[in-house]
Amino acid sequence: MFSKGLMQRQALRTLHQTGSRSLTIPFLSTLPQNPGGVKGDVNDAVKPPAPSRIHGSLHWDFQRVTSVALLPLVGSSLASGGDISVVADSILATMLLGHVYVGFQSCIIDYIPARVYGKNHNYAMYLLTLGSLFAGVGIYKLETEEEGLTGLVKKLWTVNRSTEAKQ
Amino acid sequence: MVKRLSGLQRDVLQMYRQCIRQAHKKPEANRPNFIGYIRTEFGKHRNLPRKDFSTIEHLLRVGHRRLENFSAAEVKDIH
Amino acid sequence: MSGLLRSNVTRAALRRGLATEVGQQAPRLKTFKIYRWSPDKPAEKPRLQEFQVDLNKCGPMVLDALLKIKDEQDGTLTLRRSCREGICGSCAMNIGGRNTLACLCKIDPDTSKESKIYPLPHMYVIKDLVPDLTQFYKQYKSVQPYLQRTSVPADGKENLQSIADRKKLDGLYECILCACCSTSCPSYWWNQEQYLGPAVLMQAYRWLIDSRDQASKMRKEMLQNSMSLYRCHTIMNCTRTCPKGLNPGLAIQEIKRSMALE
Repeated sequence: MFSKGLMQRQALRTLHQTGSRSLTIPFLSTLPQNPGGVKGDVNDAVKPPAPSRIHGSLHWDFQRVTSVALLPLVGSSLASGGDISVVADSILATMLLGHVYVGFQSCIIDYIPARVYGKNHNYAMYLLTLGSLFAGVGIYKLETEEEGLTGLVKKLWTVNRSTEAKQ
Repeated sequence: MVKRLSGLQRDVLQMYRQCIRQAHKKPEANRPNFIGYIRTEFGKHRNLPRKDFSTIEHLLRVGHRRLENFSAAEVKDIH
Repeated sequence: MSGLLRSNVTRAALRRGLATEVGQQAPRLKTFKIYRWSPDKPAEKPRLQEFQVDLNKCGPMVLDALLKIKDEQDGTLTLRRSCREGICGSCAMNIGGRNTLACLCKIDPDTSKESKIYPLPHMYVIKDLVPDLTQFYKQYKSVQPYLQRTSVPADGKENLQSIADRKKLDGLYECILCACCSTSCPSYWWNQEQYLGPAVLMQAYRWLIDSRDQASKMRKEMLQNSMSLYRCHTIMNCTRTCPKGLNPGLAIQEIKRSMALE
């Protein structure tokens, strides 16, 4: 349950102060905010950001596609006990990476929004992309030189079991 | 040496300056009324502790709202 | 004089409200803890003030208790209320950790438990239980909640709609914009300057699927960015908290689905 307690604490802590000061990440610099979060006259409508399909519906589509695609991929590799082809394994690893990538993008948009953090938002995005590229190279190496993602997980499993057996 | 002002202090000063600027757009006869009003409103919270961020931010918010109201051209005088 | 008259009127009204009272009973004192903060003393921190109300002499809803407190104990207690029957959406507040309308929320008869009342969470407070809904209304205005057509009907009278098309609006048009759902949404807490929030998005959907409206392309275009719509992560607090039993979460999902393949 997402939760009564949290909501009440929120209510007491942040009510008559600006949300931004109490909720910002302490070591990141922030931009000055509009008083009360309200921009312009009371009677003006809020202006939406410029339309962009990549940041809008396509981003959402990609999230859905990767998560739906992961279901059979993870399911089949679990069912077969890790004995799947290199191609299937590469698709699984790539999909997982893509899924995690857009997921983290969403997190950054939520918690390090450009509205509050300005450039730091972009830096966070660059950091994420860089990390994902590294992970991509890692996946390539894993698939070509070693036994792939499922193999790695399987190995972890057996290593655990063998250490347990020793004890 | 001039003391460096914090962001919030600069906000308050900027707000004060905006208020005075707006007062100078009013009819000349009533200007002292506006300026007197601004000074008493700011003076009310003169003794607020510098670190009381939430209160200062609240007052800034209220102040902006009020400035918006009073800077309308229809407002000619204040008592 | 008029004050005297008014207090007489309220007292008479109170007496009338208690028509069901049965004889003399032991008082059932219930403790209410109410969030208090006054803009006249901005340097004072917000606090919870305790009030005790005899449930035998009070109506069944939280709003009754609040008004009783305001009438008899502390006239400075400030809250919005109007219709007292859940159709105006003024008395939205956080009661016992849940956003709801005070007029639709029954007082918990267990007098050993205290009831805590806060204003809507994560909004700027104007005074006591009154939140600042400026941004909320500005957002509502931004979805252009009115019929937009390029053509006039042939007979020059009404824009007609089939019964099936009208049915699509059920569960959407009943929203009273009390802001309970929006202020219960964590996404709205973090990004309320840009994310529209469930209440406003449900109204956006209401105009999107209206068969008489011809501006749906423009309406969708306005939501086509990362902030306005897609900050919804189907947390579904909105649907859980809605005092009118509507489903904003589903409406947002439907918008996303209709925009997915464009």
